[in-house]
Parts: sequence; structure tokens; C-alpha cells
Amino acid sequence: MRLVIAEDNVLLAEGLQLILARHHVEVLRVVETADGLLAAVEECAPDAAIVDVRLPPSFRDEGLRAAIAVRRRREGFPILVLSQYIEQAYATELLSTGHHGVGYLLKDRVGRVAEFVDALRSVAAGGLALDAEVITQVVRRRDDPLEALTPREREVLGLMAEGLDNATIAARLRVSDNAVHKHIGHVFAKLGLAAGDPGHRRVLAVLTYLDALPR
Amino acid sequence: MYGTNALRAGGFLVGNLFAALGGVFLLPRPAMAPGWADRRRARARRWLGTPAESSPTTRRWLLVNAVTGAPAGLLALLVLANIIVGVIGMTAWWALPAANRPRLWVDLRIDGWGDALGLGIPQVLVLGAVAQYVLPVLARAQARLLAPSGRERMAARMATLTKTRADVLDAHGAELRRIERDLHDGAQGRLVAMTMELALARQAVRDEPDAAEALIERAHASAEAALSELRDVVRTIYPPILADRGLPGALSAVVARSGVPARLDVGELGDVPAAVETVAYFTVVETLTNATKHSGATAATVVLERAGGGLRVRVTDDGVGGADESRGTGLAGVRRRVLALDGEVTVDSPAGGPTVVTVELPCGW
Repeated sequence: MRLVIAEDNVLLAEGLQLILARHHVEVLRVVETADGLLAAVEECAPDAAIVDVRLPPSFRDEGLRAAIAVRRRREGFPILVLSQYIEQAYATELLSTGHHGVGYLLKDRVGRVAEFVDALRSVAAGGLALDAEVITQVVRRRDDPLEALTPREREVLGLMAEGLDNATIAARLRVSDNAVHKHIGHVFAKLGLAAGDPGHRRVLAVLTYLDALPR
Repeated sequence: MYGTNALRAGGFLVGNLFAALGGVFLLPRPAMAPGWADRRRARARRWLGTPAESSPTTRRWLLVNAVTGAPAGLLALLVLANIIVGVIGMTAWWALPAANRPRLWVDLRIDGWGDALGLGIPQVLVLGAVAQYVLPVLARAQARLLAPSGRERMAARMATLTKTRADVLDAHGAELRRIERDLHDGAQGRLVAMTMELALARQAVRDEPDAAEALIERAHASAEAALSELRDVVRTIYPPILADRGLPGALSAVVARSGVPARLDVGELGDVPAAVETVAYFTVVETLTNATKHSGATAATVVLERAGGGLRVRVTDDGVGGADESRGTGLAGVRRRVLALDGEVTVDSPAGGPTVVTVELPCGW
């Protein structure tokens, strides 16, 4: 896999390169600005990009805007957005550019190297990886279908949002595949998602929380 | 609505006449004056629509009111009574015994329909005109005596400012203490644990690599927990989305994810101080959360505008009303933050709704 990274914090950029090098991911270029990202994607033709939300010069949300701009220009171009904070609005905006090849994770997650690299690979392969914090935020704020979910079901949903498959979720929670399957069934039922394409239903379940579904 | 204005003004003046007479008896006991004056103010607000500004009511007011209120009230009483006499005289004079027939124009007796109409109609018209055009002016002049003078206003404002400044310092201090405590109990504690876990891991790394790895894993978890606690504290100080997008942008996001469908209306705000932005932001977050949880509302509106040298935030929902600050911590938290900036919170939430929460935040504009 070949990557470009948009990250102005030298320490973090170097740390990322070290981690990625150990997992045989080639970093083509590290840029510090939104314009740099747009140029690097055009010039290096990478497979995916890792982008920090806050970039110079104004350290607001240029990275997020740049990521959205890239995906508007190249539909489905895989981008993993990293941030010190998770904002539900940003998740919704990112997902408005499509549900494939998108990730939005806290920077803390980089420290869990194996899981971070898994998320990156899943995004590069067209998957969806959302931080569990996204779900936590929604839980804190709303009391609609979520009230109906048990803590365990929320946990499962959070892991689904991170783009994990049932087997991985089962391993992570140290329960049987069968139990995970049951939890997911309950989540779908409580959210009123009819049977159908399971992959699609997974995304819908996550989107329900992101409020991105038409009311 | 012809006449209601005149009647209300007359009613107020007649009431004032009694107040004036009563006031004379109160003169030796000025402590009763404020309550008395407040009742007149409430009446003035209801009947004349004047603002019910309180002012330090003293013996002086009792005296002034007695001197001016008595004649004005008498005049109103005479005018209103003689309109009634005129109407009765015009229509029912024949039903009364000759000796007791009503007299018009003070002392003219009615002896036939010609008298009744010829004297009665002008009397009712003239007095009606007085009631319509003179009494309201008199009533408002009387009501003005109840309002504070410029100097009293200034003194009251100074007293308020002194008090609110003390409150602001208290609230601000409480906020600083809260932040310090949050950091101390949360992130700092986690980081201390982390340094100890790392120190132990270093000692164990040669002889007991398994134990060392377990300790490093714990240190890692402590670091993640510290980051998470720090994030939470930062959110309460200055939400990152405000830093990223400013107040209108941040509020768009809040409104978009609101449990109650909400509409945002932001006027031209200009430069809003960061502290004010933060409080405005939390006000909207908390009130919309309350509306979602307790009101059963189907729609909410959030309006931000510049008003009188400050920022006004108004959140309206069409729910069941009856919002109670003591029930949730949300509104109380908003009040605490608003007071820390010398602002004002008004919650209007009658049973049956709608609920309107208005926050005024001075900006020094």
C-alpha cells in the first residue's frame, strides 16, 4: 500500500511513518497543508491518504475540508481522517461523500498499532472505520432508539462502526461468534432496520446514529 | 375598543385617589410605602401598559401622590360619574319623582325630553371627550411619579452592578475551581499512575519480561484514559468545534443533530468574545437537550442576535412547558455560566408550553 500523509506535527508524522514502515506500508510524501494534500494526491497517485483535521495556517478544520474536496474530486478515494477530538458533525460531513473508503479516528488509536493498521487497510479496501467515540457522543446526546440498546449492544455497534467483521468483534469482546450475531440481530431490530443486505444494514445502523438518515 | 382606554385611565386615577387618602395615614409609617407603590405599579402596567419599574419608594412619594393623586382622582370620579348621570338623565328622567330627577350641567333640572336631550347629549359628549383625551394623559402622568428618577435609576444600576460583579467573581472562581478539580481528579491522576506503571515496567523489563509487558499495557491504558479525560475537560472550557468554525458554524452542527427538529437563525453578529461564544454554545446545547428529553416538542427555534450592547440567545420549543430548573442540571449549569459573564437568563415555560429560554450576554459592544 502507498500512502500520503497530511500532518503538521513532526513527532506524530514520524511516529506514523515508523509504524507504517513496520507494516510494509510505503509513505510517498508527508505534507503539512491542505493544498499540499491536494497536490500530493494528484502527483503521487497514492492508494490512500491519512489526514489530520487541523492543519496550518489557521489550525481549524482545513484537513477535513481538504479530505472532503479530494473525495468530491475522486469518488471513493480512501481517506483516513485523524483528530484530537471526534465531532459528530465532521463524521456526518465525511460520510456525505460516500460510505466507502472513509475513516475517522481519534489520534489516540494510533497507539493501538495492530488495530490502527487494520482500520487503515479496511479503509484502503473501501471499508468504513469510525471511532467508537462517535457512537459514545450520540449516546450521550440523544435518547431515541439508543435508549433501547443495552450497553453490550452499544459496544457491538461501536465496533461495527469501526468497520470490524463479526469474527473480529467476537475476538475483541471475547465472546462467541454466535453471541455477536445475536447482539447484531437485536441492534438491527431495535433500530427498525428490516432484513436485507447485511453489509448495507451494518452501514445503515451506523448512519442511524450519525443522524445522516432523512427523518 | 373606544372607551376602554378612558375607563382604565379613570379606574387607575380613582384607585389613586384612595391610595392618596390611604397614603396620608401611612405617612408616619413609611415602611408600608413600597408595598403600596408596587401594587399601584402593577395596576399601571396592567391598565396603562407602562413599564413596572420599581424604584425606592419613600415618604416623599406618599406625599406627592397624596397632593397630586387626590385632585386627579376626584376629577376622574366626577367625570365618570357625570357621564353615568347624563346617560340616566337622558333616558330615564321621567321614571323618577320630580324632586329627585338628575341634574345636568351641575345644576340644571330636567323637565322634559327637550331638556333631557338638549342638555344630556352635550354633557355626555363633552365629558366623554374629557375621559377619552384628558384622563389617560393624567393617569400616565400619575404613573410616571411611580417610576424612578434618572438619579434613582443610576443608583439602582450601580447597586445591581456591584452585586453582579461580586457574583461574577464568585462564579468565575467556582469555574476555575471546577476546571482545576476536573484536571486534578482526572488526567493528572491517570498520568501519575502511568509514570508509576512505566517505572515498574523498567525495573521488571530484564528479569520479568511478561510482567513488564503487562505493566506497559496498563500504562498505555492510563495514557489513553488521561487523553480522554483531557478531551472532556477541554470540551467544557472551549469546545473544539467553536475553535474550528466559530459560533454560527458550531451551532449549525448542534442544531443539525438536535433530537427535536430545530431551525437556526443567526443575525450579523460581528466579533463575539470567545467567553461569550462558549456560553452561547452551551446554552443552545443544553436547552435543545432539555427540549428533547422533557418537552415532547416537535419543533424548536434558535435565534441569535445583537441586542443592546450584547448577544441575545433565544431558544423556543413547542413542547409541554413546565420547564423546571431544579429538575435537571442542564438549565442550572447554563445559569451558572451566564451569571459568570454578568448575563441574564429568563425561562418562560407555562404549563402547556411553549417554552422560551432567553439569555442576554453583555459583550461590551
